[in-house]
Amino acid sequence: MSSLKTFIKSVRNSKTIAAERAVIRKESAKIRTSFRDVHLDEERRKKNISKLMYLYILGEPTYFGQVECLKLLVSPKFSTKRLGYMATMLVLDENQEILTLLTNSLDNDMKNSNQFIAGLALCTLGNIASPELAQDLYPNVEKLLGSHNTYLKKKAAIVAAKLVEKNPDLSELFLPKVPALLNDKSHGVLLGVLHLIKSIHLNDESSHDRLITFVPRILAHLRLLTTTGYSPEYDVKGIPDPFLYVSLLRTLRMIMANVEESDNLEALNDLLTQVCSKLEGTKSAGFAVLYEAVQTIFVINSDSSLKILGVNILSKLLTQRDNNARYVALNTLLNVIEYEPLAVQRHKSTVVSCLQDWDISIRRRALELTFAIMTQQNIRVLTKELLTFLNNTDEELKPYITTQLSIACNKYSPNFKWHFETLISMMKVAGNYFSDDVLSNILALIMQHDDRALTTHLTIELIRASEKYYNEYGLVLVTIWCLGEYGDLVLGSTYEQKDSKKTKSIKESSLVDLLQVFSNISTFEKISQANQIKAYTLTTALKLSSKFKDRGAIESLRKIITKAMHDSHLEIQVRAIEYNEIFFQPASVKRGILEKMPPPPVKQREGVSLLSRSTTLKTKGSSSSSGGNDAGNSGNLLLDLLGEDIKKDASPEETKKHENTMDLLSDIFGSISVNQQQQPPAPAKLQKPASQNDKIIDLFGSSAASSSPSPSPALSIPKPLPKDNEIQAYSDSNINFVFVIKENSGNGFALLEARVQNNSASILSNLSVLCAVTKQQKLQLSSISNTTLSPGDSSTLNVKITGNPGSKLKIRVKMGYNKAGQPVNKQFDFNAGGKTL
Amino acid sequence: MAIQFLLALNRQGKLRISKWYANIPESQKRQLIRKVHKLISSRDHQKQSNFVQFENQKLIYRRYNGLYFIICCDLASKDNELSYLEVIHLLVEILDVYFDNVCELDLIFNFYKIYEVLDELILAGELQETSKDLILNRLHYLDALS
Repeated sequence: MSSLKTFIKSVRNSKTIAAERAVIRKESAKIRTSFRDVHLDEERRKKNISKLMYLYILGEPTYFGQVECLKLLVSPKFSTKRLGYMATMLVLDENQEILTLLTNSLDNDMKNSNQFIAGLALCTLGNIASPELAQDLYPNVEKLLGSHNTYLKKKAAIVAAKLVEKNPDLSELFLPKVPALLNDKSHGVLLGVLHLIKSIHLNDESSHDRLITFVPRILAHLRLLTTTGYSPEYDVKGIPDPFLYVSLLRTLRMIMANVEESDNLEALNDLLTQVCSKLEGTKSAGFAVLYEAVQTIFVINSDSSLKILGVNILSKLLTQRDNNARYVALNTLLNVIEYEPLAVQRHKSTVVSCLQDWDISIRRRALELTFAIMTQQNIRVLTKELLTFLNNTDEELKPYITTQLSIACNKYSPNFKWHFETLISMMKVAGNYFSDDVLSNILALIMQHDDRALTTHLTIELIRASEKYYNEYGLVLVTIWCLGEYGDLVLGSTYEQKDSKKTKSIKESSLVDLLQVFSNISTFEKISQANQIKAYTLTTALKLSSKFKDRGAIESLRKIITKAMHDSHLEIQVRAIEYNEIFFQPASVKRGILEKMPPPPVKQREGVSLLSRSTTLKTKGSSSSSGGNDAGNSGNLLLDLLGEDIKKDASPEETKKHENTMDLLSDIFGSISVNQQQQPPAPAKLQKPASQNDKIIDLFGSSAASSSPSPSPALSIPKPLPKDNEIQAYSDSNINFVFVIKENSGNGFALLEARVQNNSASILSNLSVLCAVTKQQKLQLSSISNTTLSPGDSSTLNVKITGNPGSKLKIRVKMGYNKAGQPVNKQFDFNAGGKTL
Repeated sequence: MAIQFLLALNRQGKLRISKWYANIPESQKRQLIRKVHKLISSRDHQKQSNFVQFENQKLIYRRYNGLYFIICCDLASKDNELSYLEVIHLLVEILDVYFDNVCELDLIFNFYKIYEVLDELILAGELQETSKDLILNRLHYLDALS
């Protein structure tokens, strides 16, 4: 039989994959046959097992050798035993039944007086411990923890940690061993016991009080390490044992995460300052320690000066050439910004410079951080950088940027002119990377402003931009929409053309030309986009027809519409035919239909996170906003019910439909603001608006809605006057939600009563209220007193909150109920007017 | 917590060493190794960081000539990536002294010795000893015993 070396050589020398396979198969078969031989001598078994290990590395099946490995490790000869254990660790894992056969050998070997044999057994147990093995062998490990041999102690500590992971009850047993181990000077034993402490902390919650008594010892070790100069044995590039540093810091951080004022905390604060100042200016291995120290600073209750030092260290890491340092620094800054926004903002130029990094994972983190540090003060500067970045960036990041930037502008923009101009610049370069949400948000924003001069300016800017960037879907869509709404405002204005510097005046005919260009663009990526543009163009053509005076221009508009009457897309065709009808209606009727859109509300949205979901961009806030606000969604739902084939595109005309149905919706939901007769009926529903409404009402089986204006019954119920300690958290036409603060003594405890009152005229059933507080606080909810509310009735539940004294009282409430058979869900945040625990 | 697995792969994706500390079914290991290689080998050696997210885990790797040493750890446990990078370097330094200028061939023909080294450095996915000299002394002693 050939040796292992020959086998490896012949595998390597095979010229083709087929030849290699043949060699391996042949050898594998030979090994199998030899294992069947009951009289196999130890030398040959050894040889075969080492080949088996090579087969393992090659990715070949090795299950047939499992028993042979176990046979090998009972040998009295050390080298044979070693090979046996090594092979066992490779070819067996904790799932195998055969592992029970190992119990006896491990038990014997761990009791062996030879430290190396006991070490082998410990190592094997640590690597492939099953819960059963843990149960059977923990006494051995416990005994070895008390041994005088550092080699065995360090291994036993790590194995003990592993066993606690498998069986948390064992922590009781191992805890008493910890103090003695913590007094050891060997770094290996220290690493082991620190790991044991971490494992106990993670797996046994009740252990916290006892673990905290170890803190002074751990701090002493950390202090010793910071005062150690050069230690040749453990030195890594000038740092005395960075691994021990990291482990000490990490353990302290875990145990002391929630510790309030104490001597230990003060000592840790001091030590962290020392560690940071000592290691500043070091390289790679030092970074690892600094990184751990900074993370610790932000987990424990550290001084504010220390926090600022932490941010400064991170920003220093950001300026390093070392990619790894930059990567971890950005990652940490993203976590830290929550605690120290101001300190992070100070380093904005460093962060922004990372946008140019070669590594996409660094760019991505820098981008997210850039949005996180944005404020009213720095938005101009940052937006400029972001727009440049947007122009040259990877496609996968673009939708994220457009969404985030439009959210940020909503929040922080200094004025509307700047806001719109930013949005236009964004649309120029963002291509098609918009979510529908962003576009509808932009439109809503434009409509909300009735400053004529600004709207005119904006429309001209849009015309000017889209002339050049007519391939940018988002820009074109918004432009067409604005032409339809505000085309009359810009007539007669002049603007300077982008390229030729010539001044061009806007005439009716030039707008028509522009529309024609738009309707013929065929360069969009998706066919649905081209269709959407077409649909928008039709509506705009119709709208302009009532605003124009020049007969020629009006005729051209009609041609745009009639041309689409033969479009192959059904939706467009239907629309064109309907519009053609409206086109010849008398002016008075037309004016009513084509009146300006009432502005929809601008949705408030929360930011999205890039790292957790990089491609699917959803807005969190919108789904939880009330039915009336959710024009897009619920409108679509309704229309779906009516059997309309409506796409997501919200063209002016369709938005109008939505608007209309939305009003109905709010009517159904008992809103007050509805006045059907003032709203022009949607063109498509021109013939029978009333019956249409009836249909919807029938669908919902509600009697509250009617198409004539009627004061909502909600008005008849007087709103309860707020008393002391009573804070209104939420109110709409259905529900009045009040929190009564019953007890808030400032010692980290608050008792609140939530009171839900039915404001509507109908019965609300299945009422449910869910609350959530921040992670640092704990919450207890009583059950709700009444789940069905008649009009005017109210229901209460108690909310108990415990947490750090001084932390902000903040509750997120999710509420659900059925009204007239329809489930309604609300979500809102309550911040108790800034009150603290 | 802890290292999930440690791999040594060459640039062609040939596996030289694999040590699994987490309990991963045998059937998935092959595929995992292929995915890891695909991900790592496509990264730029100079300009990109040595960390990369991999499914719900994080890979920390370092290239030495044609050989990648890769440590995979859990993403959620927020382990110190920089420290793992030093662990890899410590391992390679030990191998370098142990084999007197280690090269890929040493890993191929003496793969079982690598496991011996690993078992002295890392136990159950945790670093157990940080002193290079101590580990090397121990290894020489163990070899003398055999």
